[in-house]
Amino acid sequence: MANGFNVDVHTEDGYVVIQTAGYLNDPTGEALAEAAKEVMADGYNKIVIDLEKTRLINSIGISILIEIIELLEEQGGVLNFCNLTPVQDRIFKMMGLAQHAGIFPDQDSAIANL
Amino acid sequence: MQSASAEETTQRLIFSLSELEQLGETIISGHGNFNASSKTYLRMILGTLQVTRGAILLFHPTENHLAIEASINVKDESLCIPVSSDETSAMLRFSVIDLSNPPAGLTPFLNRIAPQLKVLDANFWAPLKIRDEFLGVISLGRFFAKAGMEDWARELLNVLANQTSIAIAYSRLLDKARGEQFRLFHLSDVAVEICKQLDTEAVVEEVVNYAVALLDASAGGLMRIDPLTQRLEMKYVFNFDLTPNAERQEFSIPLKTDGELSPALSMLAEVVRQDRPLICNDVERAGLFGRKKLMAVPMFGRENILGVLVVGDKEGRGGVTLDFTAEDEILLTAFANQAGVAIENAQLYQEALEGRRLQAEMEEAAKIQQNLIPDTLPEIPGYEVQGLYHPRGNVGGDYYDYIEEANSSWGLAIADVSGKGMQAALLMATLRAGLLSEVARQKDLSSMAINLNALLYASGTPGKYATFFYARLQPETDLLTTVNAGHNNPLLIRSDGNCQWLGTEKGGAPLGMFPDDMLLQIAEYEQETTELFSGDVVVFYTDGVTETENLDDELYGEERLERAVKRLHHASANEICTAIYDDVMEFQGEAAPFDDLTLMVLRKT
Repeated sequence: MANGFNVDVHTEDGYVVIQTAGYLNDPTGEALAEAAKEVMADGYNKIVIDLEKTRLINSIGISILIEIIELLEEQGGVLNFCNLTPVQDRIFKMMGLAQHAGIFPDQDSAIANL
Repeated sequence: MQSASAEETTQRLIFSLSELEQLGETIISGHGNFNASSKTYLRMILGTLQVTRGAILLFHPTENHLAIEASINVKDESLCIPVSSDETSAMLRFSVIDLSNPPAGLTPFLNRIAPQLKVLDANFWAPLKIRDEFLGVISLGRFFAKAGMEDWARELLNVLANQTSIAIAYSRLLDKARGEQFRLFHLSDVAVEICKQLDTEAVVEEVVNYAVALLDASAGGLMRIDPLTQRLEMKYVFNFDLTPNAERQEFSIPLKTDGELSPALSMLAEVVRQDRPLICNDVERAGLFGRKKLMAVPMFGRENILGVLVVGDKEGRGGVTLDFTAEDEILLTAFANQAGVAIENAQLYQEALEGRRLQAEMEEAAKIQQNLIPDTLPEIPGYEVQGLYHPRGNVGGDYYDYIEEANSSWGLAIADVSGKGMQAALLMATLRAGLLSEVARQKDLSSMAINLNALLYASGTPGKYATFFYARLQPETDLLTTVNAGHNNPLLIRSDGNCQWLGTEKGGAPLGMFPDDMLLQIAEYEQETTELFSGDVVVFYTDGVTETENLDDELYGEERLERAVKRLHHASANEICTAIYDDVMEFQGEAAPFDDLTLMVLRKT
């Protein structure tokens, strides 16, 4: 199996949904951070990151997600995650991400709570 | 009174230190990361010093080079500068290096990297360091509207470099702490998760994926030992390059001989042979699966080593590849131990499932077989008939039948289908259906056997066949016409006790074993006819009778059968049938049953 990571950005009226696919590690995390920074630079501060197609995240991926949360907090924005695996859900809670970002079961509820 | 420029300088200094303090606090508070903030740092440093071009280059000890982390107005951001440990040590002695007038000890180094310095358009370097550890450099272009660097600017750059060094060190500590925290949580959590999986292939996949994430690796794979071939076989890979070519053998590695193995392949075999983990941070040696660094640990089940879990290229921030450490080895070993048990559990579960499936199939096959065996005895004028089928263990392929033909004839069939279970039961059902169809057409027995062979050959799988014997009895003439397709020869005992084996001379191959054209080259199914007289007994049987073994590994055999029948050939068909069965069972004693046992006795009254 190859990594095959990609990031899809969908800008909507007032918010952005970023969908990832593949292993979220150093190079792919940087790609995600870059995508998040670009939409923030365009004035969006409500973001949903949909991890439905990302089954694996390493510690560097977690660090990068924390950086995105921090950058968005500085802009007074909101970040919600959705479609986490049970392992990701527990890791996000244990690593403190859940204290600064919302975690929702699906994209609709993540968008509704922005 | 201070001059205006000095006052401005002081203000800039205060402002910059305040900004740096804020950035430093962000780092310490737990959210910041130097990688993300490096450009902000650089912008502040350049702004404070009134420099328009510069970069922060971080030292990557595994690659022994300086790489740009952040830059402003530098054309090539991918620039790398090779640097030796002596050169980094030399730079630690200076706080600011004037590249146009370098200290003597650095001249050879700076001359060597002159092309890179030109790309950076660098005039000054400020080394970044914590105690004796070299972290990198701040590279500055020329000062705006000034030819050189004033003393206050030199001092300010020194302070900024120190503050930047602290930010880098904190950031690395934070990354390390996060990594440790992540691994601690992840190890216990994923171990529980993989134990929930009950499909072996899915467990193997999860084990590799979680091992990769747990170790911050870029790739991974799991190799299982094939106990039959004594080879390590790759079962699942994540991001390993396994494109096969003539020189690559990573899919399957022999464990016993390593004469022709490369050092990298030998390394994986050694993990199994020595039952211990191996780390290879050597680019040349680890050049396996397209990776630079590898770590492999043995994976144990409850009793034996199952295989090898291997991960490749540990990631650091900023695209660097780190060495695997002793701590990584402990972590992967702990995970592999849990993974081995999870894989074994999944295997046991699947074996239990398969066992239940086979049991259900056997029960279904037994029902089919029971339905094919007659439950009533035929009434043939002047004859007694008795049949007996005794299943032993798994469902076998024995079959017998009495078929009422046209013209007052009766057919007696006995067969033994190869194999067991559902496949044998279905082949038997096919044989019976074909037989009934052939009987209805009233063909001669030779043609019938040829047609049944073609039917079974066409419908059966390779290696599946049936031995078959058919006897057509005409009670009005007492003629018994028979054909044999590879079956055990029935025994005819005349009323005077003389014995004769039927079908010994004119038999053909078992049904379904060969195609028509080949069959006729081997032997034809010639029929033969025998006349029966009062008191004659014919015993039809399967190999479950004659090939039954006792505890001394002796076969029951034809001679014992002959003796058993001779002892009571004046008895009824039912008594003969029971007596043979009892004799076989007594002979077998405590030995394991060989096969199903089927008997059919015809007696002319």
